[in-house]
Amino acid sequence: MKRVLLFLTLMTGKRPTRFSLSLMLTLLLMSAFVAQAQVAVRGKVTDETGAGLPGTNVLVKGSTTGTTTDSNGDYAIEVPQSDAVLVFSFIGYESQEIGVAGRTTINVTLVPSVESLTEVVVVGYGVQRQEAVTGSVASISGDAIREIPAGNITQALQGRLPGVEFTQTSSKPGATMQIRVRGTRSLTASNDPLIVLDGIPFVGTIADINPNDIKSVDILKDASATAIYGSRGANGVILITTHKGQKGQKARVSYNGYYGAKKVFAKYPMMDGPKFLALREAAGLYSLGLDEAEDVSTDWQDLLYRTGTITSHDVGISGGTDRGNYNFGIGYFLDQAVIPTQQYTRYTVRGSIDQEIGKHFKVGFTTNNNYNLTEGTQIDVGGILRMSPLANPFNPDGTWKRTVRAGIDEPWVYSREIVENLKDQWLSETRGYASYNSLYGEVKIPWVEGLAFRTNLGLDFRQSNGGSYTGQGIMSTNPTTESRASVTNSHTWHWLIENMLTYDRTFADKHNINVVALYSAEQNRFTRSRMEATDIPADHFQFYNLGQAGGQLIINPGDQQYELWGLMSYMGRVMYSYDDKYMLTATVRSDGSSRLAEGHKWHTYPAVSVGWNIAREPFMANVGAVNMLKIRAGYGQTSNQAVAPYETLGRLSTRPYNFGSEFSTGYYVTQLPSPHLGWEYSETMNYGVDFSLLGDRLSGTIEYYVTKTKDLLLNVSLPPTSGVSSVTENIGQTENKGIEISLNGVIVESNGWTWEAGINLYANRNKLVSLYSGADRNEANWWFVGHPIDVIFDYKRIGLWQEEDPYRDILEPGGNVGMIKVEYTGSYNPDGTPTRAIGPDDRQIISLEPDFQGGFSTRVTYKGFDLSAVGVFKRGGILNATIYGSGGYTNLLTGRNGNVDVDWWTPENPNTRYPAPNGVRSNDNPKYASTLGYFDASYMKIRTITLGYDFSKLFPNADINLRAYFTVQNPFVLFSPYHDESGMDPETNSYGNENAAVPLSGNLRRILTLGTNTPSTRNYVFGVNFTF
Amino acid sequence: MKRFKINKLAGTLALTMFLVGCSNILEEQPRSIYEPGFFKTEKGVYGGLTAMYAHLRYIFGQGYFYNTTLVGTDEATWGQSADENFKVMDISGQGQITPQNSRADVLWGNAFANINTANGIIENATEVGTIPAALIAEARFFRAFDYFMLVQTFGGVPLDLGNGELKFNTSPVRTSVRNTVPEVYTKAIFPDLKIAVQDLPAVGRVTGGATKTLARLYLAKAYLTYAWWLENPNNIPTYPETPRVDPDGHDAAWYFQEAYNVAVEAIDDPGPFGLQPTYYDVHVGSNDRNNEILLYADHTEESDFYNGACTNCFGDGAAPGNFAVWFMTWNYTEIRSAANPDGSGPVSSVQREAVQPLGRPWIRMCPTIGVFTNTFADKTLDSRYDGTFTTVYRGNWPKGGVTNEVLYNANNLPVSPGDPILTFLPDETEAPNITYPDGPGPSNVGAGTIPGRPDYVVTPRAISRLMYPGLWKLGTYRTNNGNGLGQPNATSTRPFNIAKFSELYFIAAEAAVKGAATVAGKTAYDLINVIRARAGKWRFDNAANTERIEDNSAAMVAATPTDIDIDYILEERSREYFGEGYRWYDLIRTQKWEEYASTYEICGPAKGDHTVQVVNRQIQPYHYLRPIPQGQIDALEMTPEEKQAYQNPGYVTE
Repeated sequence: MKRVLLFLTLMTGKRPTRFSLSLMLTLLLMSAFVAQAQVAVRGKVTDETGAGLPGTNVLVKGSTTGTTTDSNGDYAIEVPQSDAVLVFSFIGYESQEIGVAGRTTINVTLVPSVESLTEVVVVGYGVQRQEAVTGSVASISGDAIREIPAGNITQALQGRLPGVEFTQTSSKPGATMQIRVRGTRSLTASNDPLIVLDGIPFVGTIADINPNDIKSVDILKDASATAIYGSRGANGVILITTHKGQKGQKARVSYNGYYGAKKVFAKYPMMDGPKFLALREAAGLYSLGLDEAEDVSTDWQDLLYRTGTITSHDVGISGGTDRGNYNFGIGYFLDQAVIPTQQYTRYTVRGSIDQEIGKHFKVGFTTNNNYNLTEGTQIDVGGILRMSPLANPFNPDGTWKRTVRAGIDEPWVYSREIVENLKDQWLSETRGYASYNSLYGEVKIPWVEGLAFRTNLGLDFRQSNGGSYTGQGIMSTNPTTESRASVTNSHTWHWLIENMLTYDRTFADKHNINVVALYSAEQNRFTRSRMEATDIPADHFQFYNLGQAGGQLIINPGDQQYELWGLMSYMGRVMYSYDDKYMLTATVRSDGSSRLAEGHKWHTYPAVSVGWNIAREPFMANVGAVNMLKIRAGYGQTSNQAVAPYETLGRLSTRPYNFGSEFSTGYYVTQLPSPHLGWEYSETMNYGVDFSLLGDRLSGTIEYYVTKTKDLLLNVSLPPTSGVSSVTENIGQTENKGIEISLNGVIVESNGWTWEAGINLYANRNKLVSLYSGADRNEANWWFVGHPIDVIFDYKRIGLWQEEDPYRDILEPGGNVGMIKVEYTGSYNPDGTPTRAIGPDDRQIISLEPDFQGGFSTRVTYKGFDLSAVGVFKRGGILNATIYGSGGYTNLLTGRNGNVDVDWWTPENPNTRYPAPNGVRSNDNPKYASTLGYFDASYMKIRTITLGYDFSKLFPNADINLRAYFTVQNPFVLFSPYHDESGMDPETNSYGNENAAVPLSGNLRRILTLGTNTPSTRNYVFGVNFTF
Repeated sequence: MKRFKINKLAGTLALTMFLVGCSNILEEQPRSIYEPGFFKTEKGVYGGLTAMYAHLRYIFGQGYFYNTTLVGTDEATWGQSADENFKVMDISGQGQITPQNSRADVLWGNAFANINTANGIIENATEVGTIPAALIAEARFFRAFDYFMLVQTFGGVPLDLGNGELKFNTSPVRTSVRNTVPEVYTKAIFPDLKIAVQDLPAVGRVTGGATKTLARLYLAKAYLTYAWWLENPNNIPTYPETPRVDPDGHDAAWYFQEAYNVAVEAIDDPGPFGLQPTYYDVHVGSNDRNNEILLYADHTEESDFYNGACTNCFGDGAAPGNFAVWFMTWNYTEIRSAANPDGSGPVSSVQREAVQPLGRPWIRMCPTIGVFTNTFADKTLDSRYDGTFTTVYRGNWPKGGVTNEVLYNANNLPVSPGDPILTFLPDETEAPNITYPDGPGPSNVGAGTIPGRPDYVVTPRAISRLMYPGLWKLGTYRTNNGNGLGQPNATSTRPFNIAKFSELYFIAAEAAVKGAATVAGKTAYDLINVIRARAGKWRFDNAANTERIEDNSAAMVAATPTDIDIDYILEERSREYFGEGYRWYDLIRTQKWEEYASTYEICGPAKGDHTVQVVNRQIQPYHYLRPIPQGQIDALEMTPEEKQAYQNPGYVTE
């Protein structure tokens, strides 16, 4: 922090306190305007077609007095003197300064500014006109994001950008989605894209950013675009830009708010009492427990779920003077789950200021802050699903039983009422606070036109405090089980300094040149500590005083963490275009990272891309249907340094032990040092066509890419006989290639009706090209050369064994009729009998990759009404639903505990999907039960349908915008085999190692599954946007 | 003014860059983890040793590994809730043992990391220079211990983990070459154990620490096992194939003699170790870590963290928790008594409780009928039947919150808390008077009734896969139950015993019957009688739940045949070590597996099924070696042919 103040001091030549004071004063002045002797001026502002231009800023030059034009383009303003000068400005148009010169009516026609003929795209270390972009960049405006009311942008962006896949990892409030830009490249290193918030690489979670604060999101997809982020560009770069005020804009206040109810989309399809009883009888393993009865049918889910709510309020103020601008906002967001006490609350405060000082200086800062609270994560739906429906949760006097004796188990009973009553004795919460700040100072070098020097300083701080408390006997069969509490604290500090020289000039009206040179350094420190205690003497302590614990105090060394990493970089970029016809971008970046081994820390990334706007060629002048046609190609190299700090050093794992009552912690080697660990890098070729046809009624982009990733950072499991579990090495190659199409069209535009529609479609083909030293498979990690990275390696279910099927005795010794039949891949004897029993050899590689996926949106407007819908779809691939498979313990088919409602095999009902109860088992599940969890992942889902009305039309003279809308989220699902089977939402909700009774092993965390997480909901939301 | 600002700006930048340069941001210094280099410090060596003891928990008390040591022998078969892991081990037509379903992978997956840690300690300790030889000897003991476990279970195993034979491996090798059985014994096990015998202290460095006596036990046992291997009386194949010739030039007789000598040496120089006064004392939870136990995988009730598993929760049946005993515990909690004199109003009268006779039931494994009719034929003089099994299930309903003072049990007769609710009778005397229900019956578990008797009864020949005496000796023992049922669902917080002083007598006796020359007073007969005499001593009667001071030593000795042979030793071993994980190793060492276990009797898994079934096992010579686990095969970077050659014969691999 000291460094920041020093920096400010030197920048301004003043003491920082005085600088801050003057800043505050400026702000105060802007809002406290004092009227003087007045002259009334009115008039109309029109655009180049003569239509009124609503929302144009009209400002008295040199003052803070200003207004905006109404919906007809009319304005009225009182100016202090008759010789005042008015400044008319509107985004995308050239500003005009007009002297009043005694007039009372001044009509103005604004002309579009050349720079804003098309949208501006944020490309990292600067912006570029979309028309001139030669790399692959997908952009979406904040307004479009807000069409889906959601707690964070990942939910709002799903299915809306080609090549960017958002997949749900949790259905709990506050959860963010997994983002994959053009597939996965890396086997054990991270595949998450780099997020850059207002120019500073982002170290927080994306949930910390309030979607209402976002002006635009630009996603750099190919290496020619991401190479400017060098070692972190390989997984794509997401550039998030928050709102700023407009220079010379009158202060405007805006309010956006919505409120909605959340209902369970579909309950987990569990058996009711009679069905479960039939199953238990068919299995013949368990008899009724003491709290079970044949005539009981308890729906445990109904007893637990509630109607959730979603609430959001945001207030913002923005404005500007002729030398600066500002934007401030506060936000509140509350997402309550259908699980009682489970909720996510977020408060955000943000601000940005830019101020010019003298002719050559400009300074500014942006700050994004949030405090959030995640509660109720301890409540597990799985426990409820596994409850026997035959168990009656109530005592004869109507009170809740503490436990129910059902089958052989005696689970603790919880319900909505119990959970709510216990909210002070059974809680788990995480309080997060984060502050993301960027400051800059810019100087235009006076002697060289177009040359500027800029320093950016990023300073981020994030902390997360978790606490949990489980009172005595809660969640336990035994009422005297000791209470438990834990506290987890983590902190992140991050600083970044960038020194950047830019040169931006146009020569001879045709040669546009933009050059950037950069030096940057950054460091990030993360610390985490956790402690636990048992036997908290009084419930009121919760987790606030573990020192009072009467039982154990546990500080597990595995839970304490310290990580410090640094990155130093040099970067240079040239963007050149000739007459907007021929474009070239060339980049080179050199990165050095602390995470890699000595002598392997640095790598240099080159990239180049070119574009040709054919429509600007003279020979196209007569092709009226084509408004724009640009082809482009790019090549670049980028890296993935997402290897954990200290990974190159090797590691000892700890093993606690007791020698009688003497405690000791041992260590042993689990990870070998990797003294040669270097960068994993990707090379991408990208080809694209952008077009706009039929008077800009139809526009779109088609892209094709091939990314080859080399020197994969691989955490390789070693055979047990090596004595060490794993080592991280640079070995192996992967390839991703794919195609992306996006189309936007105006289908109808007449008689006040407009109908617009957009669709995007993309397909990625991922392939593991090679592993270490020629190996073609690593079964321990499920890696197979020639197959996608994400596969399942398991038996292939082909049905159930029927009475008449031959060779069951050979293929399945010890098996039974009605058990799951899996494919035999072995050889046969001359007489046609199989040569061996089914075994590990018969496991097959099952790809999880969808054929294609995408999304669509459509919008119809008429006289202030708007009706829009956003959808997402996917074709092919595998969805692993652990509730049907072996992990969930919800499809044991033994009648031990709650079972999903399935139709099982009997001699009379042979043609079904599910095996006979109490057949051959593997652990507690039917043999090969994991295969029952695999479903075709295809689906199409309407994510939102919104009907809105713009009330501003009712008040043509008032300077306000008011729109109200009603949205249904998740209204329905189509074409989903999983939905057909279960009635449920087919989206994944868990990592592979979560939310199942027996999750997949840790290295399969990368596979997203549908497990026993908080149920997905259908939401009914009413909202208002109001600006004045 | 303008100029001034620019100069200041330049100053800022220069300063910022300078500050950045100073902190040297590309260097790394971990602060929350150990690098392997720490192993080369004195503290690191001590930490490495602790990890070696801790590794025992991942193998011993791990129920699935426990399964592989017992199911398929005369001691155990699969129980009502058994899955494939248990059924295949029974080799009775319920599926084949494969590299994927064999749970001997537990040993394979944990032993080599520990061997490597030992390699590291032995190498680094020399480098550190301040490590006493006694400490290095602990590492040698564990290296030998793991190799001994491996070589018995899998045949020859690799001595070179990647950096040379018995060298600390730090290279990421994905190939492996198996040494032969004689190489493993003569290069690793014997030399290490000899040094361990020489350098280890008589009294352990820590509670449960390795001692001279412990090393002698394993040296004697290794000699004995290797002697049998050289002799190969039933022509059981070995793998990798190798002639039955000792590289050190000795023969089986020489090793039998050495086994005898070392065991006798240990008996004569026991240090603090010895036999407990009664068999009950060896296993009663309050007397854990007694001086008869030479090695155990320790656990504690005091700390979840150091216990390696939570002590107050629903344990998840995974190492390092000690959960083996769950597997051979039947679901006694399904027993019902009645609240009303007419037999209505079912109540769970024997509830799941964290006490030694009860504990958590998983019903994965069960003893065979022969255990009760043959092995433990003598249930009155010999205290070991009573010291092994829970045979009487007593009412504990008040602890579970049921307030009835009296419940109505068999024949609707009243029972009070603490009374027998279900009794496993010692023999068939009462069988003609017993009525068994067709299904669950009033007891809800299919137990029988005898007119006038308030407890439900089951005779040995009515024992089924569903209902069988529990394993008292491994049962839960807790001190924090208060007045309630305690934490029966947590994994056991007792140490899992691995080696006992008593086995020295058996090893010496076995060597003697195989021809070792004996010393005065230590013939096979003498040695076995030490054990049998002790078995005749009673202090407490578990079945009657009362003190019972009785000494039947003389009668026990009188019943011992004078011509002790290997069969008598094997029977006696089963009586002494039933359910402790010895049996499969005893039977494969002596090559008597098929002879002892090819057939067994048990009643079926349904409630009320009391029809004795005779089950045959198809034990093949290749079964004497467990398959190399699929995880190893999968991780090897070798051709399919090489992988198949790596696998033990008889097991198909990729």
